[in-house]
Amino acid sequence: MGLASMLQVDEMLGDFNRMNKRQSLYQVLSFAMIVSSALMIWKGLMVVTGSESPIVVVLSGSMEPAFHRGDLLFLTNYKEEPVRVGEIVVFKVEGRDIPIVHRVIKLHEKEDGTVKFLTKGDNNNVDDRGLYAPGQLWLTKRDIVGRARGFLPYVGIITIFMNEYPKVKWAILSILAIFVLLHRE
Amino acid sequence: MSKKEDKAQPAEELVKVNKWDGSAVKHALDDAVKTCLLGDRPQLKEQFGLVNTRLLLCALAVGVAIMAHAWDFTHPFPQSRPVLLFSALAYFALMGVLTLHTTFREKGTFAVAVQKEAGGGKTNRTWEASSDMKKYDDKYMLTLCVRNGRGQREQTSTKSCAAFIDGNGIILDHLVANEVNRLYNLLAAEKKNK
Repeated sequence: MGLASMLQVDEMLGDFNRMNKRQSLYQVLSFAMIVSSALMIWKGLMVVTGSESPIVVVLSGSMEPAFHRGDLLFLTNYKEEPVRVGEIVVFKVEGRDIPIVHRVIKLHEKEDGTVKFLTKGDNNNVDDRGLYAPGQLWLTKRDIVGRARGFLPYVGIITIFMNEYPKVKWAILSILAIFVLLHRE
Repeated sequence: MSKKEDKAQPAEELVKVNKWDGSAVKHALDDAVKTCLLGDRPQLKEQFGLVNTRLLLCALAVGVAIMAHAWDFTHPFPQSRPVLLFSALAYFALMGVLTLHTTFREKGTFAVAVQKEAGGGKTNRTWEASSDMKKYDDKYMLTLCVRNGRGQREQTSTKSCAAFIDGNGIILDHLVANEVNRLYNLLAAEKKNK
C-alpha cells in the first residue's frame, strides 16, 4: 500500500509538471478562491450578525454546567436588542485578545442609552472585576462582542487542540494546500 | 524500479496516469487530444479567450476578497460594515458569474483554435474540441466542432478511455492521434463538399 500511494504522488507531480502557464495560474487561483470563500463567508457572517466575531469557542469551564470547554457559540450583536441581566455575553477586556463568555448579573442604564454591565461566570465564586482592566469596574457596550444565541457542543475542541499545538495546525494546512495546488480539479 | 517519464528518444515524453482516477484520465486524454490536434497542423492557431475570461473572473473575485480583508484590517469592524457588505455580495455574484461561464459557455471545451484562410476574415474557421466523461463511467466522449461565418458542424466520438491507455496507465498518443485525425478529416471533407 505504501508503494501504491507513492506511485499516485508520482503521477500527481507528473501532472503538475506538464501544466502550462495558464493551468498553473488556474491552480493557484483555485487555491486562492477556496481561502477567499472561507474569508468572505466569515466577513458575511460578521455583517449579518453585527458582531466582530460571530463564532467563538468556549475556552474555560467557568460557565459550567451551561457551557463546557470546547463548545462552539453563535453570537449576535444587534443594537435593537439591548443586553439584559441574566443573558450570556461574550466580551473582550481592553488590552487582551481573548474573549470571555460569562453572564450579566448587574446592569445600570442611563436615559441617554449608555449602559454599564457587571458579569460573572456561573461556575466562579466571584464576579469578573478581577478580570477587567486595572481601574475598570464596569463593562460598556464597546467591550461586548455579542450575545450568545446558540451553541454546538464539543465541535470547538479541534480549535483548542490546533492552538495548543500550532505545529500540527501548520502541518495539516500545508499538506492540504499542497494537495489543492497540485491536483487538477 | 523507477517509473521514469522520459525514455531514450529525446522528442518523446510518455504520459503516465493513475488509470483508476477518472478525472486524471480525462485531463490526460484532453491534453493528448490537444497536442495531436495542434501539433501537426501549423495552420491552427490556439485561442485563449475562454480560458482568459475564466482566469480574469477568478482573479477579480480574489481581488475583491483581498481588498475587503485589507479594508477591514485598517478600519476595525463596525466602521467597515458597508464595505464588507458590498464585498461579500460582489464576491458571491462573481462566483455565480464564474459558475455560469464554466457551465454554459465553456462546457468542457479544452481547446479552441482558429484556422485562417487566404480569403480573409469571412472564411476563417474556428475549431473547438470539448470532452465529457461521467464520474464513474469509462466512456470518453470527444467532440470536435468547426465554425465559420455561415454555420457550425460537429463530430463526436464516444469510446472507452481504455482504447487510448495501456495497462500501465500510459497514454498511447498514436491511438489518440488516429481518432483526432479521423474526426478532423471528416469535418474538413464535409467542408469541401459545401
